[in-house]
Amino acid sequence: MKRTFDAIVVGAGPAGSSAALTMARTGLDVALLERGNFPGEKNMFGGVLHRLTALEDVFPEFWEQAPWERHIVKKNLSFMTAGSNFSVSFDNEAADTPPYNGYTIFRPKFDNWLAQEAVKAGATLLTRSTVDDVIIENGKVAGVTLLRDGAELHAPVVVAADGVLSFTAKKAGLRQAKFSSSNQGVCIKALIDMPKEVIDDRFGLVREQGASNEIVGNTDGVRGGTFLYTNFDSLSLGMVLELASLEKAANTPYDLLNNFMAQPQMAKLLRGGRLLEYSAHLVPKGGYDMMPELVGDGIMVAGDAAALCIITGLNLEGINLASQSGVLAGKAVIEAHKQRDFSKASLLTYRKMLEESYVLKDLKMYRRTPQMLHNDRIYSQYPELVCSLMDEIYRIDGTPKDTMTRLLLRKVKEKVGLKNMLADVYSGWRAL
Amino acid sequence: MKINLDEIFDYTSFNVDRDPHIVLDETICQQCDQRACTNCCPAACYTWDEENRKMTFVHDGCLECGTCYVVCKKDAFTRWRYPRGGFGVAFRMT
Repeated sequence: MKRTFDAIVVGAGPAGSSAALTMARTGLDVALLERGNFPGEKNMFGGVLHRLTALEDVFPEFWEQAPWERHIVKKNLSFMTAGSNFSVSFDNEAADTPPYNGYTIFRPKFDNWLAQEAVKAGATLLTRSTVDDVIIENGKVAGVTLLRDGAELHAPVVVAADGVLSFTAKKAGLRQAKFSSSNQGVCIKALIDMPKEVIDDRFGLVREQGASNEIVGNTDGVRGGTFLYTNFDSLSLGMVLELASLEKAANTPYDLLNNFMAQPQMAKLLRGGRLLEYSAHLVPKGGYDMMPELVGDGIMVAGDAAALCIITGLNLEGINLASQSGVLAGKAVIEAHKQRDFSKASLLTYRKMLEESYVLKDLKMYRRTPQMLHNDRIYSQYPELVCSLMDEIYRIDGTPKDTMTRLLLRKVKEKVGLKNMLADVYSGWRAL
Repeated sequence: MKINLDEIFDYTSFNVDRDPHIVLDETICQQCDQRACTNCCPAACYTWDEENRKMTFVHDGCLECGTCYVVCKKDAFTRWRYPRGGFGVAFRMT
């Protein structure tokens, strides 16, 4: 097979489908390549999709159109130790009306829906198509070859939206050959079957309301965090673990998750649940400083492939950034077709639009966060501090109480160290 | 409830390709003293036999997460790519 398109998008995830949809809507002949049997088959993530502002003009009533599980009204942040858990919960009525701020979704459903929307707009979706190599002509990317049968697909411009390892970007010389393990995390996830009524009662939810819980601690000191999200009639429980830290750990990721599920407060929430599916994927967590070159001659990089991901501990953003970058890459292709110029200089409009959007503004703002999160104290000592502080505040044991200030100082000295605490508060302040 | 990887085929679907998408040069693994792959792989695809000093990789239950590609310190892969179109892990919900 040999075919020529106006543009080729590698990867039918949120970035790729957003790009293909944007281009197809203006009449461009776009190929959208997916290595799975259907879009979403290879894709997993924690589970919360944030509001997709980039697609709101295409889907003005997104919540009526897209397949989702529950909309998030309740956000919890927890600090957990082996035997205790301290949570801060924010239950927000304002998040209970559309446009919703976030949803739990299943990727095999959601990604497929978005790709089919691109198809409806005129894009050509080619499934079971793993890209083997990029075609370079006169020093410019001019298409891709497929692993399946060596098929050649030609186009004046390629959008690499093929995920965190982006071999397309690598083969075009846009990304480094080797990743640092401190810039990557692995997300592992257990999907747990649970009746809707049980979830509603246990998490204090009604109708299609959902809860998200981010948990710090109880990861055996491995740098990372745990999430628990409510789907309609299942739970998503998983961990994001920094690879540089996991490499040195005594436990495997599934040991850590198994231990976590057995923790007494967690076990209560999961009681009666049954494992439905187990999945894993890398997360580009290095932020702004790990981004590859975004643009080359005849090529642009979007989504996870461009490392567009923000992890602050409070927020985990990826799909919203991917979708926005896809839309902007699509717009840059439309402009390049008008000018009939697909050189790097012409496609740099993509980089410029990204710089002006919240995507690179936020990535730059959180530039120091990945470094701040390399602090081991966050993952064991601080949860221990918080929980032991609460334990002593509430404990009645016949001994006279300390003043709050004296108690706090004593606990900080005992669990973290005063100097460390001051340094961490300062670096946290700078990073967030 | 426990994740038991011996039963991974009961809860995660795969369309296993006979042709592996990842191929190791085991002689390189013999010279590695870190073997981060064995601890980091979420699907336990890598096992190290200390007695025979041999690394075994089985691609059948590979979740295609990319972890080994990043943690391998020795560039021990003679091939690391995603499976041919349509093969490999097939998430149903997740």
